[in-house]
Amino acid sequence: MVMAIAEMFLWWYAHGWSVFIQKIKIGLTNITDFFSMSDLIRTLFQPFRQISADSATIDSSIDLKFHMFIDRLVSRIVGFCSRLILLVAGTIIIIVGGLFSLVLIILWPFIPLIPIVGIILTIIGVTL
Amino acid sequence: MNTTFDPKNPRVHQAHEKRIFNHPPVIILNVFLFSALLIGGIALLIFKMSIGWTLIGFSILPLMLIFWIKNALAEIPLGKSDDFTDLLSEDLLLNLKAQLTPAELVKVPAKTHSGMFLMARFGLTIPFFDQIASYLPTSTEPIYASAIKIRDRTNSKAITGAVLAVAIIENLPRFEQVLSHSKLTIADLDQGIIWFNHLNGIVRGNKKHPHTGGVARDFAFGFTPTLQRFAINLSTRYTGSANKILQAENTEIINKIIDIFSHPGRQNVALIGPYGSGRSSLVQAFAETLMNADTKIPTNLKYRQIYSLDAPSLISATKNPSEIEYLMIRIFNEIYSAKNIILCLDNAHLFFEEGPGSVDISNLLTPILEAGRIRIIMIMDDQKFLEISAKNSALANSLNRIVVHPADREETLKILMDRIPILEHQKGVVYTYRALTEAYRLSEQYIHDVEMPGKAKLLLESAASFADRGLVTADSVQTAVEKSYGVKVKVADQAEDKDKLLNLEQLIHDRMIDQEEAVSAVANALRRAGAGVRNQSRPIGTFLFLGPTGVGKTELAKTLSEVYFNGENNIIRLDMNEFVSADDVNRLIRDGATDPLSLTAQVMKQPFAVVLLDEIEKAHPSVLTTLLQVLDEGILRDEKNREVSFRDTIIIATSNAGANEIREKITAGEQINNFKESFIEQLITSNQFKPEFLNRFDEVCLFKPLSKEDLLGVLDLIIASTNKTLEPQKISVQLTPEAKQLLINKGYDPKMGARPMRRIVQKTVENIVAASILSGTAQPGSTLIITENEINSI
Repeated sequence: MVMAIAEMFLWWYAHGWSVFIQKIKIGLTNITDFFSMSDLIRTLFQPFRQISADSATIDSSIDLKFHMFIDRLVSRIVGFCSRLILLVAGTIIIIVGGLFSLVLIILWPFIPLIPIVGIILTIIGVTL
Repeated sequence: MNTTFDPKNPRVHQAHEKRIFNHPPVIILNVFLFSALLIGGIALLIFKMSIGWTLIGFSILPLMLIFWIKNALAEIPLGKSDDFTDLLSEDLLLNLKAQLTPAELVKVPAKTHSGMFLMARFGLTIPFFDQIASYLPTSTEPIYASAIKIRDRTNSKAITGAVLAVAIIENLPRFEQVLSHSKLTIADLDQGIIWFNHLNGIVRGNKKHPHTGGVARDFAFGFTPTLQRFAINLSTRYTGSANKILQAENTEIINKIIDIFSHPGRQNVALIGPYGSGRSSLVQAFAETLMNADTKIPTNLKYRQIYSLDAPSLISATKNPSEIEYLMIRIFNEIYSAKNIILCLDNAHLFFEEGPGSVDISNLLTPILEAGRIRIIMIMDDQKFLEISAKNSALANSLNRIVVHPADREETLKILMDRIPILEHQKGVVYTYRALTEAYRLSEQYIHDVEMPGKAKLLLESAASFADRGLVTADSVQTAVEKSYGVKVKVADQAEDKDKLLNLEQLIHDRMIDQEEAVSAVANALRRAGAGVRNQSRPIGTFLFLGPTGVGKTELAKTLSEVYFNGENNIIRLDMNEFVSADDVNRLIRDGATDPLSLTAQVMKQPFAVVLLDEIEKAHPSVLTTLLQVLDEGILRDEKNREVSFRDTIIIATSNAGANEIREKITAGEQINNFKESFIEQLITSNQFKPEFLNRFDEVCLFKPLSKEDLLGVLDLIIASTNKTLEPQKISVQLTPEAKQLLINKGYDPKMGARPMRRIVQKTVENIVAASILSGTAQPGSTLIITENEINSI
């Protein structure tokens, strides 16, 4: 067991760090895929689910053309709003997750020292 | 390169560590420890005890341990050298030791997943390995050296239990011979290793999180409620697992489809190929390619979904054609508005013809295809495509045709190995490798309306019903073919079958007299078939029986059917004097639905039979020309262009041509063998038969006229047959030698052979028996002795 714990510490400072970074990368990619970030940006102003009447033709009346225009405009606004909400939510999660991950990456070498920190705090007598 | 096992290699240590730590109880214990320390620490802090910080601090250790176990010990990477130990798989690292005796080594593969896989799929049992242990080299080094080579030639990442098992077998002194007992080769075992590696790859691939576009993927695309009602979304089947194995050609086809759909122009593809050639799998694979976010395809195709339209459900939901048209227009409008749909018309001909389960929307579809605003994939076979082209050339010209060819043997086996786990899961069985190869061989031979790999898969599906204790073997596949097609494909291995084949002549002579040459020729053909040494691409045997009437030509065919083809009913008899004009060729190949008595229809229903072509010399030359292909390749195409196999039939043609010459020569005391060749020559020069026709037969057998001695034997057979008829009444008949002689004298006619004898027996013996039964003189259990006087009195 002691041997295993020693190996674990060795690994922590060797491959462990890069494995952790790799995992964070995969996690952030999965989040990006989940929120369809690239598609949200690419289609930001496109109509939502194509909910609009058929396109007007050159021969269509002005009334119909105007109706179509309004129809598509509403659809685009709905699409823009829903995409923006998701885009913002996704961006926040990615930023928060990214920052948290960055902190963990920086703190990674210090994590095994947490028990020592605990002992020091005990010795100092810090309580809540 | 070190070919010994080094127990001090760090990988061995890691493998043992993994075995100890990477277990659910250890993980649960660590989670418990973490929770206990954390909660305990917080509780102590709440109670103003600073020791709580120590507990909280130490709670990180179980977490670190879990992370280490799940990552550092999840997979033990291969070593950097080419040494045996550096190349071993994890399970072998655990099971090998520094000094292993052959007896200990042979037990190792069975302790690994891959080893068990190979053993199960190839029927290599644990007792088999125990038996071969004594023939192996005492040192393990040559075996390990072989394992390294096998790993290289099978492109395996590591030396697995399966690789070791093959290495063990390869180190047997005469391993080819050992394997041949199981009808295997070392190349087959290599395929087994590759098979395991492939399946293992799929399992690993399934563990990865699939990227399929996320929650907002379809935001920019429209709703398609009508389409969803009448179509199946093929894209939802994508689960992120490894792509299906396809024929090499099909990967090119997918690229071609991508190319067509990503550039302006006609946005349609017509996949033209025979049923079973993998057209639907190809569309499925294309759907998966589009849904996989990680594939490099043009953006205008990414996440496009393929819907397969279901013609029957469309028809059943409507009352008349105008409603169907209305529905189709709605569907096309939805597809056009949605912008992410590719429509697939499987069995596309159903949308271009009127009939049950089909609807003709070609007038509606042609302008859509020409305009190219909707992406459409059509699947049809070449025949249907020709029919559609003939009917609507504009439609045919607007299609981008891509021909899909059937898979070859290597590709079919690869595809079967890829798909078999699904079949195994559905049927609850395990398929052996030999079942796969046998399914390929037999489906190629017996299934004609479907192409590879579809037909091999179909056969494997039916073979599941004949699994032996959950294992589908080559024998299961053979049984499936025998039961489904009524043919004999198994090599005779039962003592009874072998006996029957070895004593065929005797069995035939129980029913007919003499004609040794012909009897021996057909018996030899059947023995070749029974031993599995016949040419599988031809009928079992093709014979031309020549000789006078009543000498046993037809009788031999009937006897053969009775003895070998499971009963006298398994005879397909055609009187060729009914095929005297060129038009009669059509009657040979007519579709079974219109003419159940056509030759092709009868053979389709009864592929394992004797085909008797009586009086062949009377058939029209065109009919004989049609039959040439049957005699040569054992195949005849019917009027619907379906291949009908004659490869499990014996074809016997009979003829009276030259009967007088045979009779004269035999009467003059000549032996058949002495004049046979000149006689056949004469048949050719006198234009009775063309040389190319006679040459197609395996053997031309001459039947000699029956002598009076032969007739005595015939009489005995007729009396035996009469006794068989009387058996239910428990009465039997016997003839005195004088009575027999009298009947022979009366019934002997060199021109008519044995035929008059049957009539004489009917008139005399059977009449006497009938009178005795009616008068009460013949009682059950009695034997009627018929004398010369009684016969004379009639």
